Parts: sequence; structure tokens; C-alpha cells
Amino acid sequence: MIPALKTSAKNGQSITSWEEDEYMDTLVEIQDVTKVIKGRTIIDSVSFDVKKGEVFGFLGPNGAGKTTTIRMLVGLIGITSGDIKILGSSIKTDFEKAVSHIGAIVENPEMYKFLSGYQNLIHYARMSKGVTKEKIDETVELIGLTDRIHDKVRTYSLGMRQRLGLAQCLLHDPQILVLDEPTNGLDPAGIREIRDHLRMLARDRDMAVIVSSHLLSEMEMMCDRIGIIQNGKLIDVQHINDFVQGNEKVYEVEVDDPDKAQRMLKSIYPELPIQVTENSVFLPLVRDGIPEMIKEFVRTDVKIFAVREVTKTLEDRFLEVTEFKGGAGHARTDSK
Amino acid sequence: MPGLIQNEWMKIFRRPGTYVMIGLLLIMTTVAGAFIKYQESGGTVPDNTEWKRGLQTQNESYQKQLEEMGEMVPRDMKEQYQREIALNKYRIQHDISPNEEYSIWGFVSDTSQLIEFAGLFTIIIAGGIVASEFTWGTIKLLLIRPIKRVKILGAKYITVILFGLMLLAVLFGYSALLGGLLFGFPEKAIPYLYYYNGTVQEQSMGLHLIAYYGLKSINMLMLATMAFMISAVFRNSSLAIGLSLFLMFMGGQVTRLIAMKYDWAKYSLFANTDLLQYYEGVPMVQGMTLGFSIMNILIYFLLFQVLAFYVFNKRDVSA
Ligand SMILES: Nc1ncnc2c1ncn2[C@@H]1O[C@H](COP(=O)(O)OP(=O)(O)OP(=O)(O)O)[C@@H](O)[C@H]1O
Ligand SMILES: [Mg+2]
Repeated sequence: MIPALKTSAKNGQSITSWEEDEYMDTLVEIQDVTKVIKGRTIIDSVSFDVKKGEVFGFLGPNGAGKTTTIRMLVGLIGITSGDIKILGSSIKTDFEKAVSHIGAIVENPEMYKFLSGYQNLIHYARMSKGVTKEKIDETVELIGLTDRIHDKVRTYSLGMRQRLGLAQCLLHDPQILVLDEPTNGLDPAGIREIRDHLRMLARDRDMAVIVSSHLLSEMEMMCDRIGIIQNGKLIDVQHINDFVQGNEKVYEVEVDDPDKAQRMLKSIYPELPIQVTENSVFLPLVRDGIPEMIKEFVRTDVKIFAVREVTKTLEDRFLEVTEFKGGAGHARTDSK
Repeated sequence: MPGLIQNEWMKIFRRPGTYVMIGLLLIMTTVAGAFIKYQESGGTVPDNTEWKRGLQTQNESYQKQLEEMGEMVPRDMKEQYQREIALNKYRIQHDISPNEEYSIWGFVSDTSQLIEFAGLFTIIIAGGIVASEFTWGTIKLLLIRPIKRVKILGAKYITVILFGLMLLAVLFGYSALLGGLLFGFPEKAIPYLYYYNGTVQEQSMGLHLIAYYGLKSINMLMLATMAFMISAVFRNSSLAIGLSLFLMFMGGQVTRLIAMKYDWAKYSLFANTDLLQYYEGVPMVQGMTLGFSIMNILIYFLLFQVLAFYVFNKRDVSA
């Protein structure tokens, strides 16, 4: 309970409907986690919680540390300092118990190519307690791989492998799903399907889902909350709607002389990033500032044809946040 | 644990390479059988009823050589001669002819040379069983199960040992079958004679061969354990297999060379893995005993295991 409250305090948000549910179980607690590899701090004091029924998006440019965080979460790599608790059990000291609640895909779900999909699932089923044959069949049905499940994985398409990866992590009915870029390499239909699956699992089975992704527009559609990580630091955690909208909105003002309008705005609001197009200016403003702005336009004799609110996409917002808070992101890709 | 071993077994036997190994072993045994069968002197007994006299003269000549050379005689030659003399005397006293008919036992004993190949295949499996998971990328999904890494590695090691035992059983069983078919059983049971600690003792042939297989496999077991360790520590199957095979072919020779000059060669693994040297030959370095060798083997075994388990347990998996 307490760490959950801490999060909201940190983000300084007002009480909204999702926060009232905070007394629901927190399933994953990431507490001040740091990872140092060969003297380089790759993850720097990252903390966040994920609750039941929530889809948490983990967003960041290449090399930000998403995969590294997920590796620590599932115990593949050690934690330099801090701790990760899964339903109260530490992944460090109580690995077996903690990890038994997790189903995960880390980067690509690599399977044994010389086995059939079904044999792969049998293999993983033997490693968790109480996974029956019926459960395997049911999972195969759920992810829609029934037709090809007895073929060798070697013959699968990328999308089918992703599905098998998903089946593998659902076998033991975990309460937490951790998926590193689950939509990687999928076509739009596949992406949509995964998205619907995840939403369904979170809603109907009350699971906590953590997804990382590059596809920002995807996150927007499937996540409840977003954490932005850059250069190993978690720089923002926000509810999706708050995140996309922020407190300010961007307005487009259609005018007869955009350059004159820009000069005028610069003199009044020197801080604001103002963009000019052929016949409009764009500027971020709070709602209450609109009448004042219009007054200024009228005073300087700029003709206004329209004032429109521009809804920001997550992508705009993401680039804005990462550029503003952390400088330009590294254009680095995994060398694997 | 049984489930884990079952998993590893499945991963070995769902790959065609495994069947090639078993097939090769069977083919080599068959070829050896055919070769011996159709060799001219193959199945016939040397026609020599005067064998007692022969052994007598042999002993006399050994004795003479030893006396002539006196202090000059090399240690291993002396021990070799003493052993021969003792065995010959025993044969004459107990009326056990050295001219046994070539039978199933002779064949099984001959094919024990092929244990080296069983060892080679076991090393290939041992070298790949951990490293392959890293190259396939499957290690990630393997290690996020609610099972301690120690158990996963333990199951893998046990699987390697089971695989080695299976190859030995296949080799022994098939050799016995083929030997029985091609050469038949001897008319009367001939005991096997061995010389240990200055006395000659008798042992039944079947028991002797099983012990013989067991002792000959120790070298292979240790090399497979080493390959397994390298596989777990360096995650590199080529290194594990390459180095172990190199040592399998060269380790004994190199140790023998060192042993000619230096005493410390007796601490080398390869001076100790051949326990047959205490029954059928001469220890590589003077003063080595069976207990010393067993101790050495155990220490190396523990060293390999501790290294493998320690590193595998601590390792950050970012494959
Ligand atoms: N084993 C390692 N040794 C050294 N540096 C590493 C190691 N693993 C990761 N890093 C570094 O840590 C940083 C974070 O890597 P990580 O894979 O977590 O990024 P990511 O957010 O998943 O990126 P992407 O979006 O490209 O998947 C990178 O700069 C990477 O080079
Ligand atoms: Mg990544």
C-alpha cells in the first residue's frame, strides 16, 4: 500500500478514479533499483509499482534500459542495489516463489526450433507446478495456434513464434505478465490481436501486465499507465490520459499573417515554443489563457479565422518529454 | 527433477545428430566384428599343445634378462616382467592355457576400444548442453521458471551422465550380442587372471569385462565433466568440445612425457584416470597408488563441479 501512495505523491497528481483503486493489491514493486555493469550505471534508481488489472507501458528510446530492467525483474541478471518484490517476495532472496507468479518474454521469444510448438510447451509445462495437458490445449486455443501446434517451430513465421511465446508465458496462469516488445515484427492485425489479448487478460483475469515497446501509438491504445525511461533513469510515470494531454494543450490559431503573429507572441510569451505554418501558429496554452491571447491578437490587428485545440499523440508527447528532460536520445540499437 | 531430466533427454533425442552418433557406434562395432570374423587367424585357436613348455622358456628368458641387466633395468620394464612371470607361473600351476578360443568375451574385450568413441560423443553432448541454450537464446525462457539454477544445471549434468551410460550399455550390449552370434560362447568358462599387489587372482570373465568397461570409462567421464564445466563457464560449445577432445587425445601422451622427467606429473588428471594401470600395467609415476589416483580424480571432479555451478549460478544472463 505504502509504496503505491509514494508513487502518486512523487508524480504530484490529483486524485483521479484510478488512484482510488490504489488500495487494491500492488503486484510488482520495483524499489530504487540500480544496475551497474563494468562500472557503467545502466539503470539508475528506478522505482515504480504495478497493480492488479493494470497494463503498464515501459517506454524509452533504444538503449534506455527497458530490457535491462525487465531482465532484473525476472531474475536473469542480478540487481546491484535496491530490490524487486513480486507479490511481496523478493526476486533476489526468494527467487522461486517470486518468479512463479511471472510469465515473461524477454526480447524475442526464442524456442527450440527442432521441437514442435507443442513439445516446446510441454517442456515449459514440466518446469512449473500443476500445468495439465488440458491447460496446454486451452492456452493453444486461446492464442490461436491450434492448426500448427504440432509442426516444428523451425517452420513458424515470426508472428506464430510471438504467439507461441505468449502461450509459453500463460501456461502456469501467472498473475503478472512481462513482455518486452511483444509486437515486434507483427503485422497490424497481429499487433491488434496482441493488444486485445493483453487488455482482456488485464481486465478479465485481473493480471498485471508490463509491456515495453517502441510502437508509441500502440502504448497509447493498450496501456493504463506509462513510465518513460531514458539513459537508465525513470523520468516520468503518468496515467495515460494525463500523459497525453498534460496540463497544457496545444492550440492552432489560423491567422492572416503568421509571421506577425509569431513576433507578437514572442514578445509577450518569450518562453513558449511557437511553431509557424503557412497560415497558422501553434502554441501550448492552458485553457484559461485563451481569451487573453485572443485579446492580444485583436490589439495588434492580426485577423483570426479559427482557434482549434490540437490533440497530441503519445508520440509527440514522448519525443517532447525525452528531449526536454534528457537531451537527445541515443540512436543505439542492441548489438545482438 | 525427473521432469527436468526428461526435458533434457527430449532435447537430445529430438535432434538427428544423436542418432548419427548411436548409428556410428553400431556400425563401428559391426565392422570390427566382420573384420575379425573374416581375418584368417580370426576364430581359430593357435595349435599349440606344448604351451606349458613355451611359458616356461618365456619365464626363463625374462629371468635371465632381469639378472643380466641387474640395477640397469628400467623400473617399468622390471615390473612388467615380474607381472608376466607371475601370470605364467600361475597358468602352469593351475593348468589354464593362454590359448583360449576366440569367443564372445574376446570380442567384447576388443570392442572396448570403442569406448573412446562413446566418450567422444558424450563429450560432444556435454559441451553443448549448456552452451547451446545460450546460442539458441533459449536460456532466457529456461531460467525464468520457478526452479533454482542449481537444479537446472544439476539435471543437465545427470542427463550427460545418463547419456554416456546409455552409449556404454549400447556398446556393451551390441558387442555381446554380435560376439555371441559371430563367435559363440566358450565351451568351458575361462577365468580372467589379473596381477595386483604381487599376487595373481582369478575373476569371472563377465564380471571382469563389466569392471573393465567401468574403469575404462573413468577417463571419459572426467573429460565429459570437464567439457560440461567449460560449457557452463564459457558458454562456448566449440571451446568445450575442442579442448576436451584435444586433451582426450593428447593429455595422456603429454603427461607421460612430463612423467619421464618430473615427479609432479602424478598430480595431472591424465596420470590418474587410467585405473587399469594398477591391474594390467605399471603406474605412470613410481609410488602412485590406487588410493592416490581415486583421491586425485575426486578432487578434479569437485573442482570442475564447483566451478561450473558457481559461475552458472552467479552469471548475468544477457544472451
Ligand atoms: N551485458 C551488458 N554489458 C554492458 N552494457 C550493457 C549490457 N546490457 C545492456 N547494456 C547497455 O545498457 C543499456 C540499456 O540496454 P537495454 O538493452 O536495456 O536497452 P533497451 O531500452 O531495451 O533498448 P531497445 O529499445 O533497443 O531494446 C545500453 O546502453 C546497453 O548498451
Ligand atoms: Mg530492449
